[in-house]
Amino acid sequence: MSDHGVPGQDREPEDGVPATVPSLATALALAQEGSLESQGRSNWQRTRRRFVANRASLVAVCGVLALLTIAIVGPQAYGQSATEADIFNIDPNAWPGAAHLLGTDKDGVDILARLMVGLRVSLGVAVFVELLNVLIGVPIGLAAGYFGGKTDFVLSRIADALFAFPGLLLAILVAGVFGPSVGDAAGGLGRLALVSASLALVSWPLMARYVRAEVLSLRERDYVEAARAIGASTPRILLVHIAPNVLGLILTATTLDMASQVVNEATLSLLGLGVQPPHASVGLMISNAIGVLNINWTESLFPGLALTALVLCFSFVGDGLREALDPRSQR
Amino acid sequence: MVTFLARRFLGLIFVLFAVTFLTFMIGHAAPGDPIRTLLGLRQDPETYRRLVHFYGLDRPLLVQFGDYLWRIVRYGDFGHSFGSAGRPVWDVLSSALPVTFTVGLLALALATGVGVPIGVLAAARQNRASDRLSMIAMLILYSVPSFVLAPLILGLDIWLQQHNHPSLPVANWGTVQQAVLPVLILAAGNMAYIARLTRTTMVGMLREDFIRTARAKGLSRRRIVAVQALRPALLPVVTYLGPAIGALVTSTFVVENIFNLPGVGFTAVMSIEARDYPVVQGATIVVAFVVVIMNLLADVLYRVLDPRIQE
Repeated sequence: MSDHGVPGQDREPEDGVPATVPSLATALALAQEGSLESQGRSNWQRTRRRFVANRASLVAVCGVLALLTIAIVGPQAYGQSATEADIFNIDPNAWPGAAHLLGTDKDGVDILARLMVGLRVSLGVAVFVELLNVLIGVPIGLAAGYFGGKTDFVLSRIADALFAFPGLLLAILVAGVFGPSVGDAAGGLGRLALVSASLALVSWPLMARYVRAEVLSLRERDYVEAARAIGASTPRILLVHIAPNVLGLILTATTLDMASQVVNEATLSLLGLGVQPPHASVGLMISNAIGVLNINWTESLFPGLALTALVLCFSFVGDGLREALDPRSQR
Repeated sequence: MVTFLARRFLGLIFVLFAVTFLTFMIGHAAPGDPIRTLLGLRQDPETYRRLVHFYGLDRPLLVQFGDYLWRIVRYGDFGHSFGSAGRPVWDVLSSALPVTFTVGLLALALATGVGVPIGVLAAARQNRASDRLSMIAMLILYSVPSFVLAPLILGLDIWLQQHNHPSLPVANWGTVQQAVLPVLILAAGNMAYIARLTRTTMVGMLREDFIRTARAKGLSRRRIVAVQALRPALLPVVTYLGPAIGALVTSTFVVENIFNLPGVGFTAVMSIEARDYPVVQGATIVVAFVVVIMNLLADVLYRVLDPRIQE
């Protein structure tokens, strides 16, 4: 973790005693030093202690790490092909058993192998979407919140326009229209990039909105004014005094949003707009499994369970982070 | 209220213009030549020219957009489909819209009609086993995406069918029975969320002073829970309905494609695959329009219900 202050460190706790708000004098001194480092460290420690005290989110962290490990090393360790059937021993729609731990799909491809690669896709897309969200949403939110006025108006209207598309409609449109031209480039990676980009297109406005709201209140704080008073430049105020205080918010929002993006990627794949067969994706697996429910219902069960587990884990980690970072929650 | 409506109306016009513009531009930025694709093997320069002219593709892009916008506003005309022998887009959509509407509104009604009572009952039995268990069940139900729930329910239904028990149809549209499973699956997640939301606000309401007053006056517990506390506790549910309608669009797309329902979602995805962009554009704009209007209605309803909001 970084050495900077925690967001909301200068919000008043419930009893009304501004425990962590630096007085103007100390703020001036600290602002000259460049950061609220001495206070920040203890705040992160307190945050960590609060997070660790929350058992549900600790279990969820372990869950995320376990699924991540499975996604990264699983396919190699398991050794079965995720795209081709064992041609000397084809056994489509097989039930879970010794030869294929979770059975096979309608083409006779091992489901566990496909699922592990599918998890890789889910996690990879989710991480990539969040990366884009942070790269686009955070600077725009910072600018809109800090400068206000015309900048805010224009940036907010752009966000509003993208927000006007309900749900994933815009992502469906973009992924669907440009999908065929991306085709199967780079072993399906091209499609994944397009899916991530179209999901980021509909989710960055939310990130920008969160950051903007936080910056709106941060820029009025005494310590920011103090920094301005001693002649700190605008980029310096933004990067050194404001951005670090939005970090916690960004962390929480990103983690919670990962859960939605995992579902969103699966939705696009299920509609046939994501990764194309023979490449694997959890959404694609479920969509194929629905066609053979009358033959083998377990084919949709395992991808569904894995996806739900992933979603729940991210939600619990996100909730834990939110509580731990909120100075008003005293556990 | 008038200022509020006027401001919201201006915002609505901006948003609908933005949606139409973006959708139009994305449709026209699509790679490939749609007319060449349309002609398939019979590439004839004369027919090609005529078709390009018919779809207005020989004019500057902005002129095309202006015309497109004007025809929508003035005549409700969304242009012509690239497929189905140039059928008007509105024809295609108007047969699909009622399906999506029926399924979506029934799901929303079911979610509210069942979710609110569950939340109220749980709040009235706060911290007892029935409260805890139902809330955990609701949390799980809420976390399961519709496309994970759908195969589970479908699988059960197919099993019933295979063993000659009474079962429901698993696809297509037309009879009441065929609507049951899609509506149930769409409603499930929203119902779970509404139940949890209602419980949380009800628990808070039951601690309020005015409830204590009502109790002191000798009102029955049943009346306090069902009338005094429930009315203010419904406000967050109304607030939730706005975003819920937006999210419902995505799950409707999924459920329509799983169950082969000839709704807007199904039509849109089919048209994307067929590269029939006029239909895709039309579907996107109509859906966005409906959702924006519904959101506005939810906002107005909220203001009507909450006497504290005054200009």
